[in-house]
Amino acid sequence: MLRLDFNLSRIPESAAAAGWLPQDPLLALVFQTGLIIIACSFLMLLSVFALRMRLLARQRRERFHEARWKPLLAECVFGVPERLPEVPREMRYHFLKHWNYHHESLVGAARRNLETLAERMHLEEVARDLMRSGDLRQRLIGVVTLGHLGDRTQWHELRALVSDRSPMLSLAAARALLDIDAAATLAWLVTVMASREDWPLARVVAMLREAGPDRCTQPLIAATEAASRVEGGKREVVRLLQMMEVAHTERVAPLAGRIARESDEPEVIAAALRLTQDPRDLDIVRALARHGEWFVRLAALRVLGRIGEPADRVLLMDLLCDTHWWVRYHAARALITLPGARLEDLDKVRGTLSDRFAADMLGEAIAEARA
Amino acid sequence: MSFFDGWPQWDWVSFAQWFFLLYFIGINSGYMLLNLLSLGSLKRYVEMHSLDDLPRSVSGFEPPVSVLVPAYNEEATIAGSVRSMLQLNYPEYEVVVINDGSKDGTMAALQREFSLLPFPEASWQRLRTKTVRGIYRSATYPTLRVIDKENGGKADALNAGINAARYPLFCGVDADSVLERDSLRRVIEPFLEDPRTIASGGTVRIANGCTVDSGFLTSVGLPRNPLALLQIVEYLRAFLFGRLGWSPLNAVLIISGAFGIFRKEVVVEAGGYRHDTVGEDMELVVRLHRLFRARGTPYRIVFVPDPICWTEAPESLRVLKNQRVRWQRGLSESLTMNLGLLFHPRGGAAGWLAFPFMAIFEWLGPLIEVAGYAFMISAWLLGMVSGEAFWTFILVAFGFGLVLSVSSLLLEEISFHIYPKPGQIAVLLVVVILENFGYRQLNSLWRLWGLLLWMTGSKARWGEMTRKASWQTGGGNP
Repeated sequence: MLRLDFNLSRIPESAAAAGWLPQDPLLALVFQTGLIIIACSFLMLLSVFALRMRLLARQRRERFHEARWKPLLAECVFGVPERLPEVPREMRYHFLKHWNYHHESLVGAARRNLETLAERMHLEEVARDLMRSGDLRQRLIGVVTLGHLGDRTQWHELRALVSDRSPMLSLAAARALLDIDAAATLAWLVTVMASREDWPLARVVAMLREAGPDRCTQPLIAATEAASRVEGGKREVVRLLQMMEVAHTERVAPLAGRIARESDEPEVIAAALRLTQDPRDLDIVRALARHGEWFVRLAALRVLGRIGEPADRVLLMDLLCDTHWWVRYHAARALITLPGARLEDLDKVRGTLSDRFAADMLGEAIAEARA
Repeated sequence: MSFFDGWPQWDWVSFAQWFFLLYFIGINSGYMLLNLLSLGSLKRYVEMHSLDDLPRSVSGFEPPVSVLVPAYNEEATIAGSVRSMLQLNYPEYEVVVINDGSKDGTMAALQREFSLLPFPEASWQRLRTKTVRGIYRSATYPTLRVIDKENGGKADALNAGINAARYPLFCGVDADSVLERDSLRRVIEPFLEDPRTIASGGTVRIANGCTVDSGFLTSVGLPRNPLALLQIVEYLRAFLFGRLGWSPLNAVLIISGAFGIFRKEVVVEAGGYRHDTVGEDMELVVRLHRLFRARGTPYRIVFVPDPICWTEAPESLRVLKNQRVRWQRGLSESLTMNLGLLFHPRGGAAGWLAFPFMAIFEWLGPLIEVAGYAFMISAWLLGMVSGEAFWTFILVAFGFGLVLSVSSLLLEEISFHIYPKPGQIAVLLVVVILENFGYRQLNSLWRLWGLLLWMTGSKARWGEMTRKASWQTGGGNP
């Protein structure tokens, strides 16, 4: 049986005969490991160099092609260029990046010229190829291009991609579908947008804004009504109400008012209040300004700041002494924006306030209004 | 017959040799694993952000942010820094400068450059701080406010900034940092992508050798100073896999105070920055892990590998030593103040992997490393250890050090290519080799000194550093 000699301080008699490798088998193993690691380091050093050389060569190639592509793409501002850009297979991704960049930067006839150029170059085939590749970067640019080209033939494949686990890819597919046919897509996409919490709300709202309020208002209302009837649909309702920021406010306000009136969920009420602007809802808004949750009171105060009446002054003065700082902050600002409010009068009122925090807050709001 | 009969015969010298050798193998294998994790993260990150340069990638619905800039004796650079922070490419943000009782003309410079006017703010003192002497607003920049307060240290200044912050997210920025114009936009991404995100931080790079004009970096270069050059490789190693590797495991324990973004309510609930540590940035992050893990609340603390913040590195041994001593003390304090995270039943990767790793290899590491070198050298000189064993130890220690340094450069080459010229890469490759001969060992000695100072409980305050800012040109300075 092999017995390892753990005593490394012993210098083996045959060390000299063995040359540079330690005689102790375990020590020799560690020594060899060290050598391998150093060899790996030098290999990595070489690969850093090789990568840099490859990068420089690629950049040179890109610059060479870009110098030919850019004038042709720029020509699209005035018309479709006679000569088509030459795009070697390995430069397809880069060309599509340039084409998409121009497409997103230009509008009107120039954009249509770019699309005609793409049609003549059969870019939709390139985009389809890239969409089906295994590389995420290529898939993304392929999906974006298909959207910009309005390629309906890939509708089902893109729709399937909306369910992809990757938030980036699924969002890109959703955006492409909106580019292809926003009206047909929004009817079902808003429910996906409400349920996919891995889709950043900021991106979702940006997509809806691009689609425009005319197209997204009705689907949002329908989806919110449906979600509000589902038990446990609170999170979806809140998300949909947040998405309604880009809808026609006068059309969503009645629904928001109804939800604010009927819901028991503070988060839902607060989200609905953000959209409330109908003076007929003032009664419920005033009631909610006394709600137990501070963020509901805050949301109600913001509404009063927008559509409050002179009669709300007493309520707002009360809320100026609220326990929560943000409620006091918005009460002070709402007081200033009330119809008929005069800074001189409010300054006098401030002098009579016994609550120091309320007086400070009102003082700040007055100073801000005067600044 | 004794219990130990039949066991290998170990004397203390053999034991010590193997202990140090295995420690070096252990620490470096740990870093290699982190390196592999970083490689995966970096690839995903680059893929996910491949469309960022298209015009439509900007949503315009990013959450508003309060940028907090604590300043202490920053008269020379404060105006340029603030001016650059006012020009960030971000939809809605405010800049709150906190003058922490500077003894020089910091406040006067701010007043002169930004036409400050006193403003009666009803501030919300949710975190206790030293007395605020006054709050000012700029007549020329509506999004700029300045808080003038009594000196209380960086943590106290940041807490005062949090009290004054108007927005749900705040971003702590060192007054001498140079930011990229879209820094905020990039570091905010994790908050957009996952609502559970409570903090995110980005990569800090060294500005020495670069050109900075009007507060913005205009060209990237390498410094002539050898110490600054060595720190470039060190920063690459620390950020590209020291932090990125932990990010997918949700176990990032450090977000640099130079540039980090936090959810305000979460920090206030946690009690804000602690005054009794010089590592207030790391301590806060470790505390957030501890509190969220203990409560079982889902959360994310994320590291963004983008190079978004540039800072001046010390160019003298004295200043560098002070910095490293301070960092080691900060690390010691951060870990010992949050021992509850270590092996907590719900500690996850933060409590079961990152914390023990930090404790063994970063916190106590200098002690073992210095002891290891001292033991091996003296034992070899005294003939207690064979030359074979000694040179094997040196070979392994050097080999692992080299492979880690080179791999960080490789990660950089795969991802961001910050240094554009091949000559710069060649210089860095030489530095990668040279740093293993003395610089790393010197660093271990300084860190050991920091550890000893922490153990003896001596006090420390703001990290005062002699700033040259020789890379700044244009309208940076008043």
